[in-house]
Amino acid sequence: MDDYLVSVLSNIGIISFVALSAYVLLLAGEVSFGQQAFFALGAYAAGIATAMLRWPLALALCLGVLVGALAAAAVGRATLRLSGLYFAMATLAFAEMMRIGFELFTWQVDVGGSLVGPNGPDGFGDIRYLFENEITPAQYMLVVYGLLAVVLAALLVLDRSRWGRVLRQAGADPVLAELQGIRVVRVRLVAAAAAGALAGLGGGLYAHLLTYVEPRNFDIMLGVHSLAYGLIGGLGTAFGPVLGVLIDIGLLESSRLFQGYRMIAFGGLVAVLLIARPRGLLDERAVHWISSRAKGLFDALAARRLDHPFRRR
Amino acid sequence: MLQVSDVETAYGKIKALKGVSLSAAKGRITCLLGPNGAGKTTLMYTIAGILRPLRGSIRLDGQEIAGLTSAAIVSRGLALVPENRLVFPQMSVKENLEAGAYRRKDAAGIAEDIARMYARFPRLQERREQLAGTLSGGEQQMLAVARALMSRPRILLMDEPSLGLAPMIVEEVFSIIKSLNRDGVTIFLVEQNAHMALGVAHHFYLMEQGRVTFSGEPGKLAEDEVIQRAYLGTRRASA
Amino acid sequence: MIDIIQNTVDGVMIGSSYALLALGFTLIFGTMRRLNLAYGPTIMAGAYLGTYAFLALDIGVLPVALLVVAGAAVAGLYVERLCFRPFGEGAAIASMISSFAVWMQIEEAASLALPHHLNAFPRLVSGQPITVGPFFFRLDHLAMLAVAAAAAALVHVVLHRTRFGLGVRTLIDHRRAAELVGVPVTHTLTLAFLLACAIGGLAGFLIAASEAQITPMFGMWATTKGLIAMMIGGLGSVPGAIMGGLALGVIEAQAQWLFGPQVRDLIAWGVLFAVLALWPGGLLGGRQVAEQQAVQRRV
Ligand SMILES: Nc1ncnc2c1ncn2[C@@H]1O[C@H](COP(=O)(O)OP(=O)(O)OP(=O)(O)O)[C@@H](O)[C@H]1O
Ligand SMILES: [Mg+2]
Repeated sequence: MDDYLVSVLSNIGIISFVALSAYVLLLAGEVSFGQQAFFALGAYAAGIATAMLRWPLALALCLGVLVGALAAAAVGRATLRLSGLYFAMATLAFAEMMRIGFELFTWQVDVGGSLVGPNGPDGFGDIRYLFENEITPAQYMLVVYGLLAVVLAALLVLDRSRWGRVLRQAGADPVLAELQGIRVVRVRLVAAAAAGALAGLGGGLYAHLLTYVEPRNFDIMLGVHSLAYGLIGGLGTAFGPVLGVLIDIGLLESSRLFQGYRMIAFGGLVAVLLIARPRGLLDERAVHWISSRAKGLFDALAARRLDHPFRRR
Repeated sequence: MLQVSDVETAYGKIKALKGVSLSAAKGRITCLLGPNGAGKTTLMYTIAGILRPLRGSIRLDGQEIAGLTSAAIVSRGLALVPENRLVFPQMSVKENLEAGAYRRKDAAGIAEDIARMYARFPRLQERREQLAGTLSGGEQQMLAVARALMSRPRILLMDEPSLGLAPMIVEEVFSIIKSLNRDGVTIFLVEQNAHMALGVAHHFYLMEQGRVTFSGEPGKLAEDEVIQRAYLGTRRASA
Repeated sequence: MIDIIQNTVDGVMIGSSYALLALGFTLIFGTMRRLNLAYGPTIMAGAYLGTYAFLALDIGVLPVALLVVAGAAVAGLYVERLCFRPFGEGAAIASMISSFAVWMQIEEAASLALPHHLNAFPRLVSGQPITVGPFFFRLDHLAMLAVAAAAAALVHVVLHRTRFGLGVRTLIDHRRAAELVGVPVTHTLTLAFLLACAIGGLAGFLIAASEAQITPMFGMWATTKGLIAMMIGGLGSVPGAIMGGLALGVIEAQAQWLFGPQVRDLIAWGVLFAVLALWPGGLLGGRQVAEQQAVQRRV
């Protein structure tokens, strides 16, 4: 695979984490403009861990997850009783505070003769773990997609579990859910922490892919984009947000289609798409249709081959 | 005066009205009874132009109004006092009355009518600068009626005006209905309080599960049966 | 002490333009219950039209002002048709994301029209600041305050003395009830949307004329400042928007003087966060939200 393709694919995989993060909160009924904050926290935490503290990558990513989850839970405690635009703005306010905080944050140490660490608005460079440990971009891409596959599998399993139903119920009609004995605020708190963890993981991966991050990578644009990916790809399944990222970064940014007019084309496409499908391409109806089709196909196959391995008798 | 024929209205795929036909005669009080979920409110909203019927015709003085906007229907002299009153909570009593006259352009006539409403509902005059959301339930009901009257309707639709009110206030509401009718306003009334409603109605209909199932004049004999059906639905009443 | 007073005065003058931004925002949110993220970019489109004509045709500052307001309204019409009109009740998030998509469009269109990042914008007034005792007042800021106050007063008159204004107020208060009394909803919503964009355009003109320059970043800037001011004051409340705008101006002026521009922004967001966490309805909206909930519980 050529380098460009590898870097684009890795990027798609990583941005999918923050898109999934916004998606999880959407399922819980909350719109967040601020998931980029936890992405940033994950990036800085994991970067500090490997580049400054010389931790191994796996541990650094765990730190990113932990920091993202804890920060999201803390913010959630203060804001989750808000709903709608109030919550969205509170998360955005927090994210912007974090971004400006990183612009003011400088902490550098001497590593092998040069200063390494976050340096205010100039960002945080020399996160060279992959290079130092001779991990190739292609190998790293596999790591990214391995983790993404685990996350997607977990989300799909969750969706079918009692937990997933509780989550969607709390999101769709909090008053009714409350009447049915669901502690909506607590469900949302767990969802917010999980979303923070996802964003933190993505952030850690992001810092190591780019080797260099700066506060302005984590502005409101990233936040609203992550939200938009879910709505473009569809809210019916966890594949939706990933599809959204794929369409934006994969199809439009990377292919040089519409060069110079990309945003005009993309913006118009999204606006028209949303009119036709307000809950995205893979909305609940589409997912239901696909899964019943797939089941039909599967049953047909199973019927034709009576000795089918899944049909033990 | 108002003629509804074969009207069907749906929420998404679920039909709440499955072919409703009824009429309200000029100068009369017509009452619609029925159990919860029968589709009474749906019918009211359909007539008022808030919901669009899938099919059927709604005529006001012979003219088709099905499919017109609610604004056009108000202009033609039909006003609805909705279920749950729906006053403008953040606006004062006076502003609510002004809003009721939204379709009218005669400033002098509007001011006169506001004075007339205050005379009819003295409580509203006392509280004219108070926000409507802070009025008591009974006061809000008075305001909702007064607001509807501000459009000078020829026919007034009322959806459960006694809902959630104390018996004394309910009496007051029904005496207002009677006096409005004496002043020449045609009234089409939805009620759960069948006893009170049948006391004032000239004609009534019974609606169940999206259909009109009974129609008649209030008379002593049928009343108990009707009340039972209106509260409990057909099945349990006949069981 | 003198500095604090001077900062407050400066803050009120700058805040008057924030108040206009928030006023437009709140009219849209109040009537539609929808967040128009493309609000700032719409204003930026108007400002770009103005500056484009200014650079190409060398027209005076007043025609530029008219062009900015008209351009913002036309761009607003595009946004309304594409992002708001087609969505029924309930698709609030789709509408919002759609307006974000259009934001991207407008931003790119602006940089295609005027490829320089920074573009000159005509000043409204120029001259020496007026000094009164130890205080001084920039002329352009005085003009900003005067125009903004006049515009706010005009909006007040429109809202309280015209039928259209009555319709807008009923829609802000209770949409279904507005329909019942015969307010032509779609029509009134569209007009309110255009009015809001025109108010925003005026605010944008005042700000760009005071800075004497405009960049494509202005769209995001106007959306965020308008949002913060609107939320501090209380969502969907007209007096709240004006108070919120003035409060934001004063807070920023003091913070900038004390700590510099970066911390100023940090404090502005921090104040918003604190207001939301402590008084969820905003400074003026709090009581109203509580009342509204009480009303909803009663019915
Ligand atoms: N907005 C809505 N969306 C979906 N279904 C609705 C909606 N409003 C009403 N329905 C359904 O339509 C049917 C008729 O409801 P409607 O409110 O007209 O009944 P009603 O006779 O007024 O009852 P009540 O006496 O309780 O007021 C019910 O089954 C109800 O669940
Ligand atoms: Mg009803």
